[in-house]
Amino acid sequence: MKKKYSLIAAAAVAVMAGTTVMAMPAQAAKPKITIWVDAPRLPGAKLYAQIMKKTVDVKVELKAQGELVQKVSLFNRVKKGWPDVVFGPPNDVSVLRDAANARALNDLAPASFWKDMEAGNQWCKGEDGKYYCVKNDLAQTVLWVNTKLMKDFGYTVPKTMADFEKIGLDIAKNHPGYSVGALGAQGAYSSFLWPSQCPVNQATSATAVKIAPKSPKCTRATTLLNNLINAGVMSTSAPWDADFIKDFGAANKVVMTIGPSWFGEFVIRPAGSWNVPAGQITAAPMPMWAGEKINYSGEWGGGIYTVSPHSKFPKEALAFAIFMVSDKRNVVDVANPDGSKGAPTFPASQKGNAFWKAKVSSDKYYAADPYPAMLEQSKKIFSGEKPVSYDTNSAMEGVFSNELKKSKNAQTALEAFATYATNLAKQLGYKVATS
Amino acid sequence: MAKLKQAKRKNNFAMWVMFSPYLFLLIAFGLIPVIMAILEVPHESRVNPDGGWDAFKIVLQDFRFLPAVGHVLGFMAIFVPTTIIFVIAMSLMLDLNPSKWKKWLRMSYIVPASISGAVAVLVWYAILQPTISPIREPLSWVGITTSDQIWQTKNLVYIFAIMAFFAIAGNWILIQFGSLQSISGEVIEAARVDGCSALQIALRIKLPLIKKYIVYMGVLIFAGGLQIFVEPELLNKGIYLGIAESWSLDQLAFELAFTTGDFGGASALSLMLLVPSLLGALVVIFKTDMFEEAEVNRNKKAEA
Repeated sequence: MKKKYSLIAAAAVAVMAGTTVMAMPAQAAKPKITIWVDAPRLPGAKLYAQIMKKTVDVKVELKAQGELVQKVSLFNRVKKGWPDVVFGPPNDVSVLRDAANARALNDLAPASFWKDMEAGNQWCKGEDGKYYCVKNDLAQTVLWVNTKLMKDFGYTVPKTMADFEKIGLDIAKNHPGYSVGALGAQGAYSSFLWPSQCPVNQATSATAVKIAPKSPKCTRATTLLNNLINAGVMSTSAPWDADFIKDFGAANKVVMTIGPSWFGEFVIRPAGSWNVPAGQITAAPMPMWAGEKINYSGEWGGGIYTVSPHSKFPKEALAFAIFMVSDKRNVVDVANPDGSKGAPTFPASQKGNAFWKAKVSSDKYYAADPYPAMLEQSKKIFSGEKPVSYDTNSAMEGVFSNELKKSKNAQTALEAFATYATNLAKQLGYKVATS
Repeated sequence: MAKLKQAKRKNNFAMWVMFSPYLFLLIAFGLIPVIMAILEVPHESRVNPDGGWDAFKIVLQDFRFLPAVGHVLGFMAIFVPTTIIFVIAMSLMLDLNPSKWKKWLRMSYIVPASISGAVAVLVWYAILQPTISPIREPLSWVGITTSDQIWQTKNLVYIFAIMAFFAIAGNWILIQFGSLQSISGEVIEAARVDGCSALQIALRIKLPLIKKYIVYMGVLIFAGGLQIFVEPELLNKGIYLGIAESWSLDQLAFELAFTTGDFGGASALSLMLLVPSLLGALVVIFKTDMFEEAEVNRNKKAEA
């Protein structure tokens, strides 16, 4: 989801050296907190600042996702400047804990909130059973289907990955020019490798990780991808790359694609993106890999809120995260700059999720209610993949994607990624298992 | 005698007054950061758990170090000679033809140079992206029709060389044109009378006379190329996430500091990067007659 706003990120990075470090809030009668959010979260954060105006002094700052990870060592060095609560990519929780900047949150919110979050917040749970972050949304993958194209071509929604592949190859033969998805950025990882249980980042402890690209759980996925790439129906670009949008997305030639729960509202629907007409799109459950009992999902994104242990008002800081994930005013009502309303993402809080369900289920844009498939898959995110202390996302989006573009071979790309990630992990003292 | 001493003291005072603003900047933004970097090196980090001067060794053994050296050298192997040769050729030609178009020609050199750094990345992204490119026809003649044919890590040495070339070539053409203007017309006239062709004048007379400026340009272009950062970083963070991850040495230093939290390693790498640039500067000062010549000229003038 960060792609669209990445220019802002770039600008932020470019001026990083010149950014001033802000002072810690002075102890005062009125609590004061500083919030860092990325662009999609900005309208909600601004709304929160306005709502709280009388009781809490809320300072909202627009920051690129992951910027805290880049600055936290500096803040630790000068012993000031930490923002109170921050939105970031899911893997950051591990990095921030290493930097002593992710507070255990259990004592800051009533038990009812943690009960509400229980199913959605497993990612944030440390080995000690405490929560170190609050998950904003679940980004579970589902099978996005264009019902009109499927019907025109006479296909039924695939229940197994073998069927998915068969349809893909049939499209190549009988309907050339149509597509079953794009693998760039984190597409291959979240939609294929992770649901196939391929050990990409299977952290088994804080200092051990399994990266096993030659595991059969990986090779079955890469073999399938190679067949579809070679047939010309699976792109190695990212779903928002200009050429993919032009040739497939905006041309409405994507018959089906595996993608996260936010694809509908953020990639498929918006006018500036694929702009698929109303009444054609819905979501179906993930197809099952042969020999499995559960049709697992991967995740693409699914950001988190962390609270700094240096915050003088940690309760107020966490309250912001609670507002973002569970309050109707943010989840479905907040006005976005592009004219849409509410969060595009599937809330991790059950309470917030109920509001979101009501909105999405009744949305006439979808050919059929996409929510049931999302709900089913939200409970089936394969939990073997874990946060790690190195920057695995950049390695995936960089090394893997680049090698894939070059070689058009998913296995080669995965092995290049594994070499790079193994180096990163070992440098930080991880023991890396390859089988 | 006393008068002379007084004059000297006056001279010294004037020298210090004129030098002090620069001295302040040199200390604040040159010397202090270097000293801080040296002090930073032995700090402990997760990568260098025991701390100490091992930081240099750890950086040299980093798995990204050699690839980054390869990238930067590959980039410079294209960028530095191309730029130097092109600049010399263009400025000699500009000097050759004293037409009324000169003013416009000069402007045409300087306009592309005003698009540099961050903006250049966006401009070249648009030019090279086959879907929106103004040159998509020529691109398709060489078989390039999709973005994934262009935006691959292996192509970056060429792409950055093109970006950097257009960003600075125009400026240097004008500077070297300026240095050619300083050649006395009598010398050229004499050469012509002696039967020199235009080409011979350019290569045998003009070129040797502006040699020091060319060396100076070479050193600056070399130092600038070695420290390439904005272009790959922006492409990596803003356009194709991860395409140029730790691509250049400066990026690796940045990555060490702000992703790994290894300030010691970042400082060690920065100090190592300082060495070639410093050597370049010393070459300009001591091995060329860049600055001595000026003094001789002044003395000559004084004599006259």
